[in-house]
Amino acid sequence: MSSPKTQTSKSATARPALKKPAAAKSARKAEAAVEPTRAEKAAFLKAMVQGIKPGSKAAEKSAARKGPEAAKSAKAAKAPKAETPAAAPKVEVLRRISGAASIPVTPESERALALAKELEATLADGKLDALQPHAMQALMAALCKIYSAQDEADMRYPVLSGRGAVTGTDVMIVCGALLRAVDLQVFELGMWQSWSGR
Amino acid sequence: MAEQFVAKASEFQNGDRQIIRVGEDEIGIFKHEGKYYAYSNFCLHQGGPACEGLTIAGVKEKLRDDKTSVGLYFDENSMHFVCPWHGYEYDMFSGEQVADRRLKLKKYNVVQKGDEVYVVA
Repeated sequence: MSSPKTQTSKSATARPALKKPAAAKSARKAEAAVEPTRAEKAAFLKAMVQGIKPGSKAAEKSAARKGPEAAKSAKAAKAPKAETPAAAPKVEVLRRISGAASIPVTPESERALALAKELEATLADGKLDALQPHAMQALMAALCKIYSAQDEADMRYPVLSGRGAVTGTDVMIVCGALLRAVDLQVFELGMWQSWSGR
Repeated sequence: MAEQFVAKASEFQNGDRQIIRVGEDEIGIFKHEGKYYAYSNFCLHQGGPACEGLTIAGVKEKLRDDKTSVGLYFDENSMHFVCPWHGYEYDMFSGEQVADRRLKLKKYNVVQKGDEVYVVA
């Protein structure tokens, strides 16, 4: 146990110690007012490493400290900034894809295409008698002959342009009619196909 | 957005295509019946090369008045291009996915200056 005298002396010495944190706080506040922020510190370090960019605010400030002539040249450096064009993105050609080779159109082909279009239209309109039998026979005979001649001459291509051009039933009807017209049986067609490899 | 040179117009025939990379974008430029069309080459489905696949006219069905089918045919007034990965089909004139018109490829403007073709990207 300590004497009351010593206690008073302790409290006397303790009072200024109580005031200290407040003083320290105000001192810290004052320091903080002067202390640059984290962003300012980062900008300062950046400027230290990279140097001051010409035309920037920092360049103007430092030039103003150096003198009026330096300030003028700093302003002049800032002026052409707007004129410098942005770097254009790099264009690289990845690939060139050519379209289908154009086929020379003969006048006969053009007329045949027009006729085919006309016949399709009559069919769509339901005018089944538009093409009379003798015209159909002449057309069918000419088509058979020319397709066969082209095939013999190694000008081979699919007889129809696509799967949707005609139905399977259409083909069977026409093939059956053609075979009947020349008095051939399906068996004979099969034999010829196996012999000729076609 | 700046004009990027694509090709000489005289060397760009109808039916031809060119795929270019501008920065991080890939663009497919088509020439169809004298007109140019340009779209993003990234398919909306899974990012496949949308502009590098088959080009094909739209398929339509001809019907009589009583709705009897006369058959299918290629519509000469349309043109589609098909992504080679999974077959997403796009309208060449609008960039819309033909099965769901709400989906649309990014479209770029194409400018012809004399004999030079540019894409704005």
